[in-house]
Amino acid sequence: MIDLTQILQSLVNGVGVGLIYGLVGIGFCVIYNASGIVNFAQGVFVMLGGMVCHTLLTRLGMPLIVAAILSVPVVAGIGMIIEICVVRPMWNRGAALFAIILATIATQIMIERITILTLGDQPRTFEEFTLGGPLKIANIAISYQLFWILGCGALMVFLLFLFFTKTKAGRALRACSQNREAAALLGIPVHHMLLLSFALSAGLGAVAGILVTPTQYTAFNVGTPFGVNGFIAAIIGGFGSAGGALAGGVLLGVAQAAAIVVFGAGFKNVAALSMLLVVLLMFPQGIFSAFKGSGKGH
Amino acid sequence: MADANSPALLSAEGLSSFYGRMHALKPTSFTVRQGELVTMLGPNGAGKSTLLRALMRLNKAEGTVVFDGHDVSKLSTHELAELGMIMVQEGRGLFGQMSVRENLVLGAYTGRSGSGIDSSLDRVFTLFPRLKERFNQISSSLSGGEQQMLAIGRALMAEPKLLMLDEPSLGLAPRVAYEILTTLGNLNKQGLGILLVEQKAPLALKLAQRVYVLSLGRIVAELPAKEIKSHHDLAQYYLH
Ligand SMILES: Nc1ncnc2c1ncn2[C@@H]1O[C@H](COP(=O)(O)OP(=O)(O)OP(=O)(O)O)[C@@H](O)[C@H]1O
Ligand SMILES: [Mg+2]
Repeated sequence: MIDLTQILQSLVNGVGVGLIYGLVGIGFCVIYNASGIVNFAQGVFVMLGGMVCHTLLTRLGMPLIVAAILSVPVVAGIGMIIEICVVRPMWNRGAALFAIILATIATQIMIERITILTLGDQPRTFEEFTLGGPLKIANIAISYQLFWILGCGALMVFLLFLFFTKTKAGRALRACSQNREAAALLGIPVHHMLLLSFALSAGLGAVAGILVTPTQYTAFNVGTPFGVNGFIAAIIGGFGSAGGALAGGVLLGVAQAAAIVVFGAGFKNVAALSMLLVVLLMFPQGIFSAFKGSGKGH
Repeated sequence: MADANSPALLSAEGLSSFYGRMHALKPTSFTVRQGELVTMLGPNGAGKSTLLRALMRLNKAEGTVVFDGHDVSKLSTHELAELGMIMVQEGRGLFGQMSVRENLVLGAYTGRSGSGIDSSLDRVFTLFPRLKERFNQISSSLSGGEQQMLAIGRALMAEPKLLMLDEPSLGLAPRVAYEILTTLGNLNKQGLGILLVEQKAPLALKLAQRVYVLSLGRIVAELPAKEIKSHHDLAQYYLH
């Protein structure tokens, strides 16, 4: 028998992990919009966020908050290295987009192997940002980390909004996503924008990874599930707006949590993939762009 | 206004471009002098757009291009823009989901205009007052004429030394086309070098100091504008 507490509890958990999917999904959108490339190494940034933070914490003995903040630029730097070493050479030679996309998958596998060789294959975790908890409201446990995820998720979306609308670089990035040739003709260095988009989405993935690790664990191979779910979140959101991807992530997280309660843990991925299929069949442009009534781009 | 003794602003030598194996632009040489308005004329498929795209390195191209005294043959599109070679694409190339304001502000991306964005905006609004009325409107919802004005206004925000336009009168009512081409003529009178690609607009011929005729990927004629009495005299070049 499923009781209400169980359902509410799974909703709460679903929202938390869903926001993480949403952040990964935004990362997909940022690179895709700037270049048309779907970066399947996106999940690797989540993994690296957790792993780098853990390493700084345990091997260098940094305080958690310092390690967390420092990990983001480190992972963003790794994202830039991927752009420079893998994507740019192919892009400059006019490689087909699908070939570049395959190369990002290869990159993910390579980074996972390097992680095993340097940091080992054991799962690891670190403590929540605020100790104590969970907060109990009528038998529903809400971990303090969920508030960190909510707060940081909202902050990220707000900062991204400011960046894309108020700064010269953000506006230029949007210009590239709408018309790359026109952007270049106005003097915007399109390949620098691609580099920026990799830094940005790697940083977002790292934030997601750092936030989520205390609620579960991280290991060399957590990238794929986060990548796949983030990808689905982005598709549900219509692969366009940050808000859409975030909402898509929450929907997905809640659907997964509900499926676990109702059908059992084995149905987590079934729920995610069914949701993807339903969205693709009914709203090929994503749920949220379908609602806006402007499915097709200009 | 330029005369035959003005120094060259742009000169292309053997500019050539392929689509796969198709030689869409055979080695072509032409010049635009300082302060000159040159019209490049040709029928559909003559290679006019290819020529501009090759010049701006949107397409792979061979040949030498000298702009404002510098060899720019090896530069990429955004570097050419930084030097003041600004092109308005066929189909206008607006950022459709952005407002008029954002499109114009992006025009000033290179920061070539020393006087700042506000004074550049004022200048554009003087030329095209309608853009001011629609400042916050999304650019894809503008009328065709307004979109073309925005495309030109955005290009002017970059303070071009050479303005290149690919069929700016395409799809516009004659009166609007007239208005836009007249504005281009006035800009030229103030000293702006312009390379204007058109298919037939008679006004584009009247404004020009020199005309090239492009056909099947090569320049088949170069005429000082006063030798062209009317557009009909050019018909011979269109008949193959
Ligand atoms: N992307 C492309 N791939 C292959 N061939 C192309 C491409 N773009 C243009 N062409 C071909 O190159 C030739 C020149 O085309 P171009 O667009 O330069 O002509 P145009 O003079 O601008 O014509 P229009 O007046 O119709 O705009 C045409 O035969 C065209 O079919
Ligand atoms: Mg054309």
